[in-house]
Amino acid sequence: MRLRCALVTIATLLLSLPAAAQTRTLTGTVTDASTGQPLEGARVSVRGTAFTTTTGASGRFSLGNIPAGGITISIRRIGSNPAEIVLPPGQDDIRITLTRDPLRLSDVVVTGQATGVERRNLANAVATVSGDEISRVSAQTVEQALQGKVVGASIQANSGAPGGGMQMRLRGVTSINGSSEPLYVVDGVVLSNVAIPSNQNAVTRSTQGSNPSLTQDNQVNRIADLNPNDIENVEVLKGASASAIYGSRASNGVVIITTRRGKPGERRISATQRIGVSKISNTLGSRPFTTLADATAAWGASAANFFTPGVTYDHERELAGRTPLSSESVVDLSGGDEDTRYFASGLWKTDGGIIDNTGYAKQAVRANLDQDFGKRLNFSMQTSATKSLAQRGLTNNDNAGVSFWMVFPFTPSFLDLRRLPDGTYPPNRFGNISNPLQTAALMKNDEKVLRSILAGRLTLNAIERQAYNLKFVLNGGADQFSQENSLLFPPELQFEPLDDGEPGTALLSNSNNVNLNLGTSGVFTFTPVSGVFTATTSVGVNGSSRDLRTSRIVSRNLVGGLGIVGAGTDVRVTEQRQRVEDFGLFAQEEFLTFSERLLLTAGINADRSSANSDIKKYFYYPKLSGSLRFPQPFRALEELKLRAAYGQSGNQPLFGQKFTPLSATENIAGLPGIVVPVQGPVGSTNLRPERQKEIEAGTDLTFAGGRGAVELTGFRKDVSDLLLQRTLAPSSGFGFEVFNGGKLRTTGAEVGVSLVPIQSEEMEWIFRTSFASTRSKIVSLPVPTFRGLGFGTALGSFQFEQGASATQIVGNDSLPDGSTVVRKIGDANPSFTMSFSNNLRFRRLRLYGLLDWQHGGSIINLTKFLYDLGSNTADYADPITVGTLQTTKGANRLRLFPKQTAVYVEDASFMKLREVTLSFEVPPTMVSRFGRGVRSAELSLSGRNLLTHTGYTGMDPEVSNFGNQPIGRNIDVGPFPPSRSFWFSVNLGF
Amino acid sequence: MTTTRTISTRPTRVIAAVALLVFASACKDLVVPDFNNTSLDDLTNNPTPTKITQASQGLLIGTRVGIAEQNGYVSLLGIVGRESYNFDPADPRFITEMLIGPLDGGSPAFGGNLFAAPYRNIRNANILLGATDKVTGLSVAQKSAVRGFAKTIQALDYLNVVNTRDDLGAPIDVNIGPTAVPAPIVPKAAVFTQIATLLDDGLTALNAGGGAFPFAMSPGFTDFATPAQFAKFNRALKARVEAYRGNYAALLTALNGSFLDTTAPLTLGAYHSFSTGSGDTQNALFDPAGRAILAHPSIVTDAETKPNGTLDARVLAKVTQLAAPRTVQGVTTDLVFTIYNTNTTPLPIIRNEELILLRAEARYFTADQTGALNDINLIRQTSGGLAPRGPFLNQSNFVTELLKQRRYSLLFEGGHRWIDARRFGLLSTLPKALPTHTVPSRFPFPEAECLSRIPAPTQGCT
Repeated sequence: MRLRCALVTIATLLLSLPAAAQTRTLTGTVTDASTGQPLEGARVSVRGTAFTTTTGASGRFSLGNIPAGGITISIRRIGSNPAEIVLPPGQDDIRITLTRDPLRLSDVVVTGQATGVERRNLANAVATVSGDEISRVSAQTVEQALQGKVVGASIQANSGAPGGGMQMRLRGVTSINGSSEPLYVVDGVVLSNVAIPSNQNAVTRSTQGSNPSLTQDNQVNRIADLNPNDIENVEVLKGASASAIYGSRASNGVVIITTRRGKPGERRISATQRIGVSKISNTLGSRPFTTLADATAAWGASAANFFTPGVTYDHERELAGRTPLSSESVVDLSGGDEDTRYFASGLWKTDGGIIDNTGYAKQAVRANLDQDFGKRLNFSMQTSATKSLAQRGLTNNDNAGVSFWMVFPFTPSFLDLRRLPDGTYPPNRFGNISNPLQTAALMKNDEKVLRSILAGRLTLNAIERQAYNLKFVLNGGADQFSQENSLLFPPELQFEPLDDGEPGTALLSNSNNVNLNLGTSGVFTFTPVSGVFTATTSVGVNGSSRDLRTSRIVSRNLVGGLGIVGAGTDVRVTEQRQRVEDFGLFAQEEFLTFSERLLLTAGINADRSSANSDIKKYFYYPKLSGSLRFPQPFRALEELKLRAAYGQSGNQPLFGQKFTPLSATENIAGLPGIVVPVQGPVGSTNLRPERQKEIEAGTDLTFAGGRGAVELTGFRKDVSDLLLQRTLAPSSGFGFEVFNGGKLRTTGAEVGVSLVPIQSEEMEWIFRTSFASTRSKIVSLPVPTFRGLGFGTALGSFQFEQGASATQIVGNDSLPDGSTVVRKIGDANPSFTMSFSNNLRFRRLRLYGLLDWQHGGSIINLTKFLYDLGSNTADYADPITVGTLQTTKGANRLRLFPKQTAVYVEDASFMKLREVTLSFEVPPTMVSRFGRGVRSAELSLSGRNLLTHTGYTGMDPEVSNFGNQPIGRNIDVGPFPPSRSFWFSVNLGF
Repeated sequence: MTTTRTISTRPTRVIAAVALLVFASACKDLVVPDFNNTSLDDLTNNPTPTKITQASQGLLIGTRVGIAEQNGYVSLLGIVGRESYNFDPADPRFITEMLIGPLDGGSPAFGGNLFAAPYRNIRNANILLGATDKVTGLSVAQKSAVRGFAKTIQALDYLNVVNTRDDLGAPIDVNIGPTAVPAPIVPKAAVFTQIATLLDDGLTALNAGGGAFPFAMSPGFTDFATPAQFAKFNRALKARVEAYRGNYAALLTALNGSFLDTTAPLTLGAYHSFSTGSGDTQNALFDPAGRAILAHPSIVTDAETKPNGTLDARVLAKVTQLAAPRTVQGVTTDLVFTIYNTNTTPLPIIRNEELILLRAEARYFTADQTGALNDINLIRQTSGGLAPRGPFLNQSNFVTELLKQRRYSLLFEGGHRWIDARRFGLLSTLPKALPTHTVPSRFPFPEAECLSRIPAPTQGCT
């Protein structure tokens, strides 16, 4: 180890400085080849040196102190194809034209921890989404803005609750029990994406049943805190073959987010104001009752006290029928000169919720700074601070009869729940102890987050020669947030004295998370003067820590109905802390040759972690990839690329999985006791990361003058050393053992097609479509078949079984002889997903639409089961004939339950119109009407999730009662309803 | 050029300095402890008197787990024994599984319940016994007192297991590595033998346990806070065990060492304690409005009346009527319990009233009909306020009377009605609200217990 440590030091000390030579100054102009317009923001550099500058608004640039001899100038610009020009000695002024690159094939994509390659040479199918594509329609969170835009990513909401709670899964199943979250790297800092439950469980008692975990709290994963408007670019490394260099945290993929930066040139201010409205997009309805006889048959004799013929109430719309106004103000400011560039932004967002006392508000500021100290040293810093308040209502599973959609199934539509003139609410008299309208009006469930993210990077171009250069990068960052969950259920609520005899409940949870990263790397690039090849060698080390501490207070029997936890007489305090420390090293070699047509890359990451049993042991993750371009292989094809990549990556054990704990937090009448915890784990002495080996191969075709591109990819992921839980015999007194074993295979295919059928000054049409499909199989499982999330086999459960799909759902089924078996009744994995986007511009008018389609997959619809139990499903009383039996649809389902669980497992297929925008760019002649100093103006109408087409009878096929899960999504238990939103926006540029 | 040079030199040093920092972090050991728990290894390998104290008190915590929950031992056995209902609107299986059936070992909260919790505490006791052998700083008598206590509590936990699994038997040699092949399942009789042995060994150890325990007792054990007093609790459990396996002579012997006292309150006994303190557990059977826990209507309809015409005093004390009847899935009742009238009301483990009824049973079956009648009438009069009854006509007449008194005296305290009906072969006499309802004779093994055994047991696994 000492040797490894020493290498870094030596490399750092190898700095040398070049001597001054004879120089000249070069000036020039960069223009668009088709229109002749000057191009701003083109990066002009002298090959083999670090001399670089950027063109200003007039397309002009100037490079001083460059070598006097013959040089090669390279010009790159986002949205244009790159160019290289050989410049003889003596020519000091040049005009350069660039051709358009509508499909962004020339963008540089980050592939290593310190380097990147041009998209046209990529050996992996790395998905890229630009900031423009992200901010077309107002989004609450980054993941929402990415839905349908990343080929091979499944991005789904867990419910419709405001403020986030979405899961991104890249290329199918990658783990059974481990983390399923991709690694989010923002400006070089690994961001925390933990999801901390609100502790609403203290009131809903959802853990009292079969699933003792807090994960039914409708929690938000914290990537939600990012401001989508700040994003310049998102790159998604979808599997180990691309992400190996990130080591043991990368097997769920890596999402690399780069925030916007200032460019040299004039100061620019852009301001966007959006005004929107949200509306519930689906309700379940309930059984109509037309006669008193029907009502009393279903609800008992007391129904007569409430039933009035012809009078019904739509409880769902009474609760969630609000159409609140939302607003979003975004301002950003950027500019700078050759030495100093800055970008600053502000966001003020207020999204109303469709239910009383729900909504989402976010305020964010950001300042990004780039400072050059001469030509060699660059310092950049990205800082942001975010404050958010998510008011989440009370949804998802409960065992207390208080969660909104857990009460409606047992509440008849003829019962009036509305507020009375005196301000009180009528109690719910039908076996329920809560009136959701009252609950929503009086409760609060607030999640406040304060987050600051700081990233810094120091780059030193230590050696710059014609043939080689050496660069050192030192980067570090801190991601700190505090989350406060404050919930109040005042004594006036109908259920408050009834659920536990203690009127009033106040809950307060405080969490504090600190992620720290520090790394350094060196990059050595060698290009012989002949230019036959370019070899880029990078090595680096990095260390990181993650620390999360959560304390929770549950206070009941609130004196005077005060909303502070100090006012209760029954007060409980708990605390949990976790910390993980990692250290890693990496090395990578990229070899570009054959006129930049062949790229070979080899790399390795070695890391160790406090999460592993052996904290000293390094785990190694190699990668190897190659791509070869054939320009003009056929007449119709511009370019054909063949590519293949192989890599390994890991998925660390979770904090604490290596321990065999005894609980020391319980007491009996104040006497402390040490006991084996409920479902107590037994630690393994050899716990290590899961290992994913991914091989990916594909071909990319470019045709029609760069206006058509097809990307075909196939991949196979073999995940071994799975973090498995061996359920121990309960007679052992322990719950389970976590160990590594088994093997999971996920295979899949992805197709991306981009076309620019029309491109002219008048009109432009960009069409994209994508297709992705994955299948997973548990190849070996060294433990007996076991079940994951669900509520027992009668209600459907995920089951892990050797040889079967990892996402299969099992349930009870009847055999012809009348006996009951447990067998597969569904599979959560869709057969395929597709998306279609069209971006059509006609003069100043632009129309954009994004359609997201999922075909297949199964959902366990327990909400419907609950409505059936309440004899209250919308179709409950619809007559149906089964064989010779005359019955109703609801009664028939209940007749088949629990022997045929499949009656509550439904198809999850859907098609959603995710985003629509119609925008109009105001002509320059009219721009001045918007105010002094206004240089551009754009008006737009947009909408999110406007239409959903699905056969699913629940509220929304995007659902997960248990939040983000490696496998166990698609369980529907009284979720927050989905909504659609419409926006009107004005964007002004100053 | 000169400015560039001077500026870039300094960062060179900065980078070198930071590289040294990274160098330092590379050599960092990454040790992160478990902040939230103590560890098994620590208690097993480095026991101290303080840890022994806390692990001993832990047994009182452990044996309480799964008893007073809304789907715990008292509640679920109350449902199958038709003492209680659970109308929890959020989980229909309190009716579909518990009343209609069959019990499903795959539902951890229902059919597969009431198994892991007692075995966890059996493990707690085994860990404590191992640590006690190793600890220094405790006297021989103190160690003996800990062992006697641990074995007695362990016997209670085994008893709770066999009460629910009955003729399936249960594993007993469970003091093996937690990941080892599970201990074999032995027949019911062998489980009872194990329980009796633990109680007898416990008694011996308690007798050698000196004047005081090296730990504190919860308020529910106030009357059993010394080894000598605790021995009386030990014998009371032994008496119950002998009743369950029909050793009536041994039952009477055990009772002699117990706290049976016809002059003491019937409530004298050992209890599970609860409190609202942070980290403590509350009695979840407290449900004043009948949100979930309700009483079976037959408690009133089957009750005798006092000479003054009012109902059995136990009925009046233990249940009350709701304003309106509640109906769920065709099951109706208008009664709620008032037994646990706060969320900290203690829950009886065993008490004087049961001991007197155990003596009545033993006396009858050892041909002391007079003694049996005296004991029965003592309970009828002091507990129920009823008139004394005349001699038993026959054995069936006695059993009917005994079970009725046990039913009302021990109502909703631990599944007595169901267990009693089963041991006298009278499960079919328990009332069913609807023809589709059934009365199970036992709970199946939890699915996890079945799956971890190859081959799975032939009985009790689906």
